[in-house]
Amino acid sequence: MATLQQDIATKFISALEEGKEVDSDKIEEIRKLLSDDKKIKADDFVRVFSAPAGGEVK
Amino acid sequence: MIKLETAHVEEFRGIRKLDIDFGKETFAISGPNGTGKSGVIDAIEFGLTGEIGRLTGRGTKSLSVSEHGPHVDKVKFPDAAFVELKVFLPALGKSATITRKVSAPGKPKIAPADADVKAALAEIADHPEITLARRDILRFILVEPTKRSEEIQAILKLDGIGQTRAALNTAQNKLQTGFKSATGQVQSSRDTLQRHLQIATFGAAELLAAVNPKREALGLSRIETLTPDTQLDAGLSDSDKLPEFNKQSTLRDLQALSDMLGSLVDMGKEEAAAILSGIATLEGDPALLQALQRRSLVEKGLELVDGPECPLCDHPWPDENHLLGHLKAKLSKSEDAGKLQTSLLTNGGNLAGHAEILLGLLRQALRIAKGEGDAAAADLITAWGTDLQELKGHLGNFDGLIGLKERLGSGWAKMPEAVPSRLAALTAKVDAKPDQSAAIEAQTFLTTAQLRLNDYRDAMRKNEAAKTASNAAKAAYDAYCRVMEHELNALYEDVQGDFSTFYRLINEDDEAQFTAKLTPSEGRLDFDVNFYERGLFPPGAYHSEGHQDGMGVCLYLALMKRLFAKSFTIALLDDVVMSVDSGHRYQFCKLLKTHFPDTQFIITTHDRLWAEQMKSAGLVTAKTSLAFHSWTVDTGPLVESNADIWDDIATALAKGKVETAAHGLRHHLEYVSRQLADQLGARPIFRADGNYDLGELLPNVLSRAKELYGKAADAAQSWGNAAAKEAALQRKATLSSSSGASNVEQWAVNKAVHYNEWANFGKKDFEPVVAAFKELLESLRCKDCQTWLYVTPRGGSPDSLRCLCSAESLNLKAKPK
Repeated sequence: MATLQQDIATKFISALEEGKEVDSDKIEEIRKLLSDDKKIKADDFVRVFSAPAGGEVK
Repeated sequence: MIKLETAHVEEFRGIRKLDIDFGKETFAISGPNGTGKSGVIDAIEFGLTGEIGRLTGRGTKSLSVSEHGPHVDKVKFPDAAFVELKVFLPALGKSATITRKVSAPGKPKIAPADADVKAALAEIADHPEITLARRDILRFILVEPTKRSEEIQAILKLDGIGQTRAALNTAQNKLQTGFKSATGQVQSSRDTLQRHLQIATFGAAELLAAVNPKREALGLSRIETLTPDTQLDAGLSDSDKLPEFNKQSTLRDLQALSDMLGSLVDMGKEEAAAILSGIATLEGDPALLQALQRRSLVEKGLELVDGPECPLCDHPWPDENHLLGHLKAKLSKSEDAGKLQTSLLTNGGNLAGHAEILLGLLRQALRIAKGEGDAAAADLITAWGTDLQELKGHLGNFDGLIGLKERLGSGWAKMPEAVPSRLAALTAKVDAKPDQSAAIEAQTFLTTAQLRLNDYRDAMRKNEAAKTASNAAKAAYDAYCRVMEHELNALYEDVQGDFSTFYRLINEDDEAQFTAKLTPSEGRLDFDVNFYERGLFPPGAYHSEGHQDGMGVCLYLALMKRLFAKSFTIALLDDVVMSVDSGHRYQFCKLLKTHFPDTQFIITTHDRLWAEQMKSAGLVTAKTSLAFHSWTVDTGPLVESNADIWDDIATALAKGKVETAAHGLRHHLEYVSRQLADQLGARPIFRADGNYDLGELLPNVLSRAKELYGKAADAAQSWGNAAAKEAALQRKATLSSSSGASNVEQWAVNKAVHYNEWANFGKKDFEPVVAAFKELLESLRCKDCQTWLYVTPRGGSPDSLRCLCSAESLNLKAKPK
């Protein structure tokens, strides 16, 4: 069943990439969260979505 | 996955010592309730997973494997309680032994301790769902949709998907709340700036119209256009940029706070009253709050009503309408509670908005107090502000709101008594300052305006960021739900397709057109089934309990097929088809044989007939069946008559234990008579309690067998088959001679030969009785496959008398004249 979970994660990332609401940095962060074995917490997502656009520019 | 070869169980649950040879085959264990069948399932489950499903879950809080796994006499010696399973690993093509002690359930001893063997056994340890008990069926069939979704997602190991969805949902809710708060900050900073500028309408032109006269008074150029970079105090030298204190503006801020304090009694009054009223309603009618929680249960109850007995608690009502009225009244109460909850939260949100406006004014007052060095005022304002922030938190959730009853009753703002006097003192202090010159007033006006514009711009930036984050979170949540729903729909389509196929196979006689629909939506899984082509309804709506049992097993099998595919090699079915009627049980056997030929099912049942039907249907054989006839705490399960019965009787007689031998023979005859009566269609006097005595059962069996052999001879005669006629007559003669020797026909008239007297026989007297019954019973079963003869079809006029392997097959139908 891990396969189904992975399928959903992959298609979810593709859906985000097709949309415009979530920028590429955030999508990458989400991809990392989903590929991690740890249970994802809501605050993990809050952190990702709250990061300013262009977060790689320090 | 694995197949089970053997099990050795010691001092575990109700079992003292038991060995079972499963032989990698589907295996049936039967026996009345309380004879230890489920103990065997517990043992296998424990051996494979280290857990006992019956000791976990709802209502089992005080139960544990460590305390309740050992036999009750070995509770203090858990080391003595263990299970040893020999399993075959099809994927690896080898066998292994796993020994697990109750004292160390997480540390099984595995031999051979090869890495691949350990990995395979670790995988099955992660799948307790290989066991299906009847209580589990409720998890799929009769639960509310949200719970069903959780249960099925759990069994399919989809919990990670649900967790991700829940985390995204919580994140989007949090960010939406943050966005609302940021919007409130924008409003507050705008009010502050607007108050300072004294403009009625907030706009660039109005702002510049307020600022430019001050600039011109200081000889500074006008600002024609307001851009994001515009500095309202541009041109002032650093030395001219005086502290932000502007006396008139400060006085206006303090006046605004003072005005608000004056109107505080009325501010939010309606909302507070509405919240208090809601709390009072809930307190006055505790059932309303409970009804909110029970709403879903009552809805299900309404669907299940089928007569005057409550489907939820079995309480009898005068008639169905009374019951329906009662449940609808309950539902109506929960509807009220649902509306009340929404109203409470809406009023709480509005009141929090008032609190935020007050907080905005307090922030300015705090700045002024600090600027004026009024520490007491600053401390007072800080403490009040902290309290109001906490209040805002409570206003945002149902439990928090309920806890605010006392506060809302005495004024939600809970203004410290000293605030008005402190504020008056602070205002007097500011007012007492000499009026600023026009130049200084203009300078501080510009610097204060710039500071407040900065605050406003900052609030706007944060609001924009909060909006972006909130929108992104919502978009992500929506996308995840969309993808999840699509994928799960596909999965559920597979499952519902298999489920329908399986269910149709079991009920092909009356529900050949059966279909089912699994409909997933956010966090729910609705499940509807076709009822005789009258439409789709929840399973509990019209189908009988037996049909619901069948649905539970079919849905389980469909889910397991999806979960394990070809690795679905073992399942433990603990008394799960007890309500399926006898006609459908043969079909159930067919389902297991045809759709799951590579799966080993360990099936328990308390229904003796069902156990025999599994044999008749070829799902199991005499070798792959076990029956418990009783259980005692000292012995554990007592195994019913078996192939070794004659050896056991001979051994007892050899030791001179006639009583033991007599008991064994009688018990075996009771068992076999009941089975043959069913399979041959014997006609004892009907007993509603099914409690047939051997004295009336066995003579009827023999009578029926003779009748059938006679029919077989007549049928052979009509077809001109002399050999078949001779064989049938020979069987009849053998039966007559051995039944004569056994004295069965004398039981009614001669008490001296009645089985009740056997225990008083001498060894020499009893040995011929044993030999006669052995010959008698042997004449009623096949020498090859060792199964008891049976008629087919069952019921009505049978066509043939046969055994399972067809070595014995006697035609009963005469040639038409």
